[in-house]
Amino acid sequence: MLEMTRRTFMKASAGTTAAALAAPSMLHAMENELGGRDYNPDTLKERKAIPTNCHVCNIQDGAMAFVEDGRVVKLEGNPNHVSTRGRLCAKGNAGMWYSYDPDRIMYPLKRVGKRGEGKWKRISWDEALSEVTARIDDVLKNGDPNEIMLKYGRNRTGGVLHRFMDTLGSATVLNHTSVCESSKKVGMEPTWGPDIETPDFANSKYILNFGSNILEAAYFHNPYSQRITEGRVDSNAKIVTFDVRLSNTAGFSDEWIPVYPGTDGAVALAIGHVILREDLQDSGFITDWTNVTVEELKEHYRQFTPQWAEELSGVPADTIERIAREFALAKPATTYTYRGPAKHLYGAYNEKACMMLSIMTGNVEKRGGYCLPRGMGYGQPQPEPPKPKHGSILKNPPEFPLASHHVSHLVPFWIAEGRQKISVYINYMDNPVYTNPGSETVWGELFRNEELIPFRVVLTPFMGEEAQTADIILPELPYLERWEPESMPNSLWPWLGIRQPVIEPLGEGKEHRVYLQEIIHRLDPDGSRGMKQYWNFKDSEDYMRQQFENVPGLKEVGGLDWLKKHGVWPVYGKLNPATGKISDKTGREIRAEYGLHMKELSAADMLGASVDEKGIIHKNGKAIGVQRHGKNYVGFPSGSRLINVRVDEWAEYGFNPMPTFKRIPWHENLKDDEMILTTYKYNVHVQSRTASVKWLAEIVHRNWAPINTETAKRIGVKTGDLIRVESPVGHLVTKAYVTEGQHPNVIAISTGCGHWGYGRLAQLKLKEKGGQYGAQEDPDMNNVWWEDKGVHPNNIIPAVADPIGGSAGWYDTVVKVTKAKAGDKYGDTEASWDKHFEWYKKTMSFTYVGDAHRKMHPEMASWAGPDSVEPKEPSGH
Amino acid sequence: MIESREQPNTIDELKSRAHWYRLLAGVFAEEPQAPFLRELRSQACIESLAEVGVSFGEDFLATDEEMLLDDLAAEYTMLFVAPGGFPPVESVRLQGGYRQSASSEVRDAYTAEGFSVQSGRFAIFDDHLAAQMQFVAALLERQAEALAAAEEQEARRLEKTVKRFWIKHLGRWCRGYAQLVEEAAEHSFYREMARLLDAFVTAELDIMGLDVADEDGGKLRAPKPKAVTEPMQCGGAAT
Ligand code: SF4
Repeated sequence: MLEMTRRTFMKASAGTTAAALAAPSMLHAMENELGGRDYNPDTLKERKAIPTNCHVCNIQDGAMAFVEDGRVVKLEGNPNHVSTRGRLCAKGNAGMWYSYDPDRIMYPLKRVGKRGEGKWKRISWDEALSEVTARIDDVLKNGDPNEIMLKYGRNRTGGVLHRFMDTLGSATVLNHTSVCESSKKVGMEPTWGPDIETPDFANSKYILNFGSNILEAAYFHNPYSQRITEGRVDSNAKIVTFDVRLSNTAGFSDEWIPVYPGTDGAVALAIGHVILREDLQDSGFITDWTNVTVEELKEHYRQFTPQWAEELSGVPADTIERIAREFALAKPATTYTYRGPAKHLYGAYNEKACMMLSIMTGNVEKRGGYCLPRGMGYGQPQPEPPKPKHGSILKNPPEFPLASHHVSHLVPFWIAEGRQKISVYINYMDNPVYTNPGSETVWGELFRNEELIPFRVVLTPFMGEEAQTADIILPELPYLERWEPESMPNSLWPWLGIRQPVIEPLGEGKEHRVYLQEIIHRLDPDGSRGMKQYWNFKDSEDYMRQQFENVPGLKEVGGLDWLKKHGVWPVYGKLNPATGKISDKTGREIRAEYGLHMKELSAADMLGASVDEKGIIHKNGKAIGVQRHGKNYVGFPSGSRLINVRVDEWAEYGFNPMPTFKRIPWHENLKDDEMILTTYKYNVHVQSRTASVKWLAEIVHRNWAPINTETAKRIGVKTGDLIRVESPVGHLVTKAYVTEGQHPNVIAISTGCGHWGYGRLAQLKLKEKGGQYGAQEDPDMNNVWWEDKGVHPNNIIPAVADPIGGSAGWYDTVVKVTKAKAGDKYGDTEASWDKHFEWYKKTMSFTYVGDAHRKMHPEMASWAGPDSVEPKEPSGH
Repeated sequence: MIESREQPNTIDELKSRAHWYRLLAGVFAEEPQAPFLRELRSQACIESLAEVGVSFGEDFLATDEEMLLDDLAAEYTMLFVAPGGFPPVESVRLQGGYRQSASSEVRDAYTAEGFSVQSGRFAIFDDHLAAQMQFVAALLERQAEALAAAEEQEARRLEKTVKRFWIKHLGRWCRGYAQLVEEAAEHSFYREMARLLDAFVTAELDIMGLDVADEDGGKLRAPKPKAVTEPMQCGGAAT
């Protein structure tokens, strides 16, 4: 018989360690699962996993919801999703608190008392829809359909909202893009086609980042933070970040170069100057793929010297010279912008100046370079309604012919000026009272005005600053209860996905598709008005089935049924636990396709085509490709099939068609005590709808304003002191956060905090009465240890608009920062409509018909003036 | 272990208890409709309620019916439905969100007895106060029937089920909650009904001989939520 003692255990174990490790093991720690499965920690029962698409923000990561007893208990990334690779950010993990929020609206509400007073009465869906339908019907019968306006914030309905408005015949559909990235889009689209780039960070050697917080806030920060970390670790990429703020991305970079707000474009042009001066450009690429010659480019860039850029930006000329050489010589390399450079008076110029660096160095569509976005489309249920007969001047204002993504943040002024009558205002998931420049003073004022906006219906699951002024609120569903199609170019692999309800809707919430269909059916019960035919679906699932039924490839594997099961299509491979990357069947990491512009046209494509003297291949009146070195390539989706370094359309309106930079005139000759106010985003917050989300509110709930140590000394304040920030349109009182990680001429106030009309956590209302009230609201309120909800800056930011791209000039406001005055209280804010209106007038003078336009463009002296152009409707969406 | 006091329930007593549950459930289930309101305002009802100490104000007694319906609908919405309110839902009160585990626990309890919750004029949650009260009412009525049919064992089982339900659910939140409503209500109808709820629940616990701690934060006695009528301040600290 064997006998073992403690001694033999110890002695023998040394010799048997290796064997023990090599012995086959069947037991697998469940916590080591790389995702896709989850267990109840008490019962160890496996939870039901339902794939869906995250929608706390618009990165659109693939998610898995773990459901127990009909309740979402946990969210994580979908391991099948090629971009997300099983990982969600903190916001994505907290998403279920939208569904279970005690402040959620689950029944239609009708205001009682004055608009904005905050008193409501619950009404039935039938009553609510009757009233909304009657208002719409009245306009359709007695007015102009364009008097029905719909403005949306985050619209991922996959075409439902546009279908609704087209069915009504109204073109007054406004988006939110001008407070987001429109000048980035307009800077890029006429140049190479798409509105965004997909940098291949993971394989890059050099990343030149202009004003983007890639790890935390940028489009597409969750997939990109994974890739840029791989670039850093696996490819040894160098990262250089230009930013006014030491963001966590700047901190993660090899170099953070503070830059004066709005001057990234000048720095980029000067870097281009050095590259071209030293002949470091990729002449072959420029010659083959752009509409300018190397010589033209060199000649044009001669003016943008590093000394000139240094004066504007504060970035030393030597640094510019060095970075230029490093960037041009590192291969592959890429630039990235999101969305610092674009959010300025001339944001479109800045954007283009930055992308030119990737173009002139030939890094476009290369592994590790600056790639075109990869997307996938889905269909629309047939038949579709025709487009409205008449355009809307609010949507396409004639002063902004190039702003193809509209200038929605100026709409209150245009409505106030009487440019277009509005009878019914439909507000979908959009909170401009909080998110737009002028916030409460401008949008709040507009929405309270019953003469200008006689009827307001707000479609939302939550009360917010905008919903407070509703006449009727229809309870929309939070994302975990909705059906929506998805696709987003958030990695180099295209995909289609779905958002599907992972739980039953709570209360009487309904989703857009369903109640909009009911409105149409009420307007046209027997189909005689020709509307009902466009709303021919049984339910949301049926609608989605129709959208996915004809997608080649997906159709063969089961269309919507595949997506319900997997959440995303295609599934490119398996998430490899060792690398965290996706591996194919052979175990190798999947590889992206590059050189999309060099796909060759087929013989069938070329049938009947002609090639002009520049090598452009034409067919049926359209450029379909480019002939180079004896081969027929598809080229870029830019119209001309080349990269349009020279954008002729801009010149028609007196804008410089070539890469250029314009200094913001009111940034010149600032006094010593004047600074620039910028905003930024925390990694746990989106624009307006996370401050009340449990978990997230606890992580970040206040936003003391970072100012530089030297600046703080000059003003005489330290961290936590009250400061007064005065802009030309108003002032606010907040607290200073003194840091070296901030440009000395910049004060930054984050958005996301300081709510006054949304959620108990966001407003901390429940703590307002001596801490008592919070205690009895819900038990989590007992855990609210903080008493500071932050201060929101938008009220004092004037509504500047880029005359080209239409973007709001978020980072252009000159402010005076001083110690708070006697009587100033934390959170005070004051602004005036009249002053905002003056600034609106000022920004209009920079449009191509305005007085300042010519002065800003002396180089366009030969332009024949605004009367020389035929007004036309901008393209875009 | 559930202890039972030695006072045997009479059939009539069970029925009358069930009646109060049903009345209170009706009050908190949704905005009152005209027929219910008419009965509540009848001479007989007002007098009976006065006997137990309910004293409505003029806003309830002397307001024209149509206006009163509107006022109560708005008050109900502000107290129990609109954001910033405090819905009479156990998950929200004790677990900080709608449809948490309390919701499925009560659903299981209903199912075990052959009940499910249906929408009234509006959809409600399984763990809504009204559903919980109606569930107890139904069990008490069954208990009365069992006693009438001399089914002692069934009657005892039902009695225990009711007590268990009180210990696990109603007893843990509805007294504190009633106090919150009483403090926050602006209309005398909801103020008085909350007082009635509080008193009734206390009496019920006594009758059943139960000693359950109320965990609802409402027992801390809240000041009125003036937020909706006060001017807003944009940002800043809560003081
Ligand atoms: S970045 Fe975060 S919040 Fe946004 S979609 Fe991805 S996981 Fe969701």
